[in-house]
Amino acid sequence: MTEVCHSLPNKVELPDGWAICYNAREFFCKPRKKFMRITHLSLTNFRNYGRLELTLPAGATLLHGNNAQGKTNLLEAIYYLATTRSPHINQDQQLIHWDALQTHDPVIVGRLVARVATRQGERQLEVRLINEQKGQQYSFRREALVNRRKVRLMDLLGQVRAVLFLPQDVHLITGSPSQRRRYLNITLCQIDPIYCRQLSTYNKLLEQRNALLRQMAEGRGGHDVLSIFTERLVTSGSELFARRGQFFSNIARETQHIHYEQLTDRRESIRLRYLPNLHDSPTNSSETLQLADWLEDHLQQPERIKERFWQAMQESKAKDLARGSTTIGPHRDDWAFWVNGRELGLFGSRGQQRSAVLALKLAEINWMTSQTGEAPILLLDEVVAELDEQRRALLLNYVQSAEQAVLTATDKAMFSDPFLQQATMLYVENGRISANPTA
Amino acid sequence: MAHNVLPQPVQRLIDEFARLPGIGPKSASRLTFFLLRGAENQALELASALQELQARTRFCSVCFNITEMDPCVVCEDSGRDPNLLCVVEEPLDLLAIERSRAFNGRYHVLHGAISPVEGVGPEDLRVAELVERVQGGTFREIILATNPTLEGESTALYLQRRLAGTKVKITRLARGLPIGGDLEYTDEITLSRALEGRQEFS
Ligand SMILES: Nc1ncnc2c1ncn2[C@@H]1O[C@H](COP(=O)(O)OP(=O)(O)OP(=O)(O)O)[C@@H](O)[C@H]1O
Ligand SMILES: [Mg+2]
Ligand SMILES: [Zn+2]
Repeated sequence: MTEVCHSLPNKVELPDGWAICYNAREFFCKPRKKFMRITHLSLTNFRNYGRLELTLPAGATLLHGNNAQGKTNLLEAIYYLATTRSPHINQDQQLIHWDALQTHDPVIVGRLVARVATRQGERQLEVRLINEQKGQQYSFRREALVNRRKVRLMDLLGQVRAVLFLPQDVHLITGSPSQRRRYLNITLCQIDPIYCRQLSTYNKLLEQRNALLRQMAEGRGGHDVLSIFTERLVTSGSELFARRGQFFSNIARETQHIHYEQLTDRRESIRLRYLPNLHDSPTNSSETLQLADWLEDHLQQPERIKERFWQAMQESKAKDLARGSTTIGPHRDDWAFWVNGRELGLFGSRGQQRSAVLALKLAEINWMTSQTGEAPILLLDEVVAELDEQRRALLLNYVQSAEQAVLTATDKAMFSDPFLQQATMLYVENGRISANPTA
Repeated sequence: MAHNVLPQPVQRLIDEFARLPGIGPKSASRLTFFLLRGAENQALELASALQELQARTRFCSVCFNITEMDPCVVCEDSGRDPNLLCVVEEPLDLLAIERSRAFNGRYHVLHGAISPVEGVGPEDLRVAELVERVQGGTFREIILATNPTLEGESTALYLQRRLAGTKVKITRLARGLPIGGDLEYTDEITLSRALEGRQEFS
């Protein structure tokens, strides 16, 4: 559709979001693309930014500067506003500027504010990281605001969406299952609020059921209460299985396609598989793969998923009681790549692993765009440096067609001149951002 | 090293206030000094109110609401529908439902909700008393009005199973209540709608 429009030289934008493209002989009508981008960012006491006011343009912005100046921290701030999570697994308290924590004031606040422009108008998002004195100790909490009104943190999700590329992304493949689940949850939560609510319910139910199992090991608590929490856990967990299954059936196809067509010149095909922990069997086992197939075939039949999960929970009840914790369920899920029948995390070369994770992230962009009609903001931390010529070109293609992208680099020479001419350059130095290096 | 220069009785009251929910050390000091400076009988009034609270209230032996007389005024009121029983978590929930004026039956106060994480099981609540009351009573309908929280919903599900053998109809407050909210803080209109729209619990 866009192609057609490109070939027609004249274009009239209509107020309700449509555009008419025409030439002397033909015309074509298409919906104008929805958009979403950050126009302004304010940070207070976030990482090494004491105070920052930054206007962000559309298109690509390149943050350059020496090591340890705050380039990655800025990407982290944007990512945090989009997902309410740091890409690093650490305590959110550490996000507050050290100097502010040093003051020992009764209330210490780190603040992230973004103005977001969309086709429907502008909105303001805010997250407060609050360290507050309670008696002798400090306690940490977070607040979220949309248009200056307090909302639940969860309500921030989907207000602005981001896809993040990090040099250490390859750990997604080689690292622990919990890292992969974390990525899965953050990604899904950005576009599916029901998933996010269900996940939070599931985690609370899991905590309750595990507490009960521990009590039962000590001879307290009854089977009648256990069956209540099991039943509710199954209902909630089946929903997670179904939504994750749906996600993987979409993203796997897209990832495999990008990998085959765009990254390996049709030389290598990979498979991305969801490994639902719907049964008491080791991940990667053939049972788990069969289960994954079964799940994919039954995504439209939630009752069947629930039945099967319920059955599995009954079978693992004795084990759960002995261990004092819930041994199966979506909290033990995993996913993995396969090349030629071998698991990439175990047998792949570093280069193969990098390509796979790059394909996944690129697929994530397309998936988010098709699910929401809005292109996500792309955040790329130093990743360009690690890619060969062809992949760098491909990635920069995605950057150039994004509504907004923020990249970081210590060395500008990494980029081609045409790219540098198009991009907005910002220089980062010791928690300050300016157009040019100060002399 | 700074010494605590406050007289011990002052510090004691501050500490007591600070143990109350919603009161931090600052408010606790402010309240204490307010009483210290205020008219003499104000502090004494408060003291006697606190004493009376302890001495003259108890749980109703029928519904377990807080009461001065046993049985309580609601249980004694013959104008109330003896067929309807409303089960709530806390006395304050009972008060909230009374304010809505949408209900004219009897109550049963559980004094909490099932939450293994906090170590609360059915045996810590007035569940056995409820079952006994239902089995020996005249009720035709039990409304499970526990909070729409994870714990409240689990408690309702549990009670439904426990009462399944009896011939009583079991209903649950209709949705429309704010998710994750507290019955106590719900406005009257929402509450009376929720009561009208209650449904069979299955
Ligand atoms: N809570 C905090 N308060 C203050 N400064 C912090 C805090 N957390 C991290 N920093 C500082 O931020 C700096 C790192 O910033 P960042 O990771 O953004 O650097 P960078 O510009 O991306 O560097 P590189 O090119 O090496 O990746 C470090 O000097 C670190 O000491
Ligand atoms: Mg960096
Ligand atoms: Zn009573």
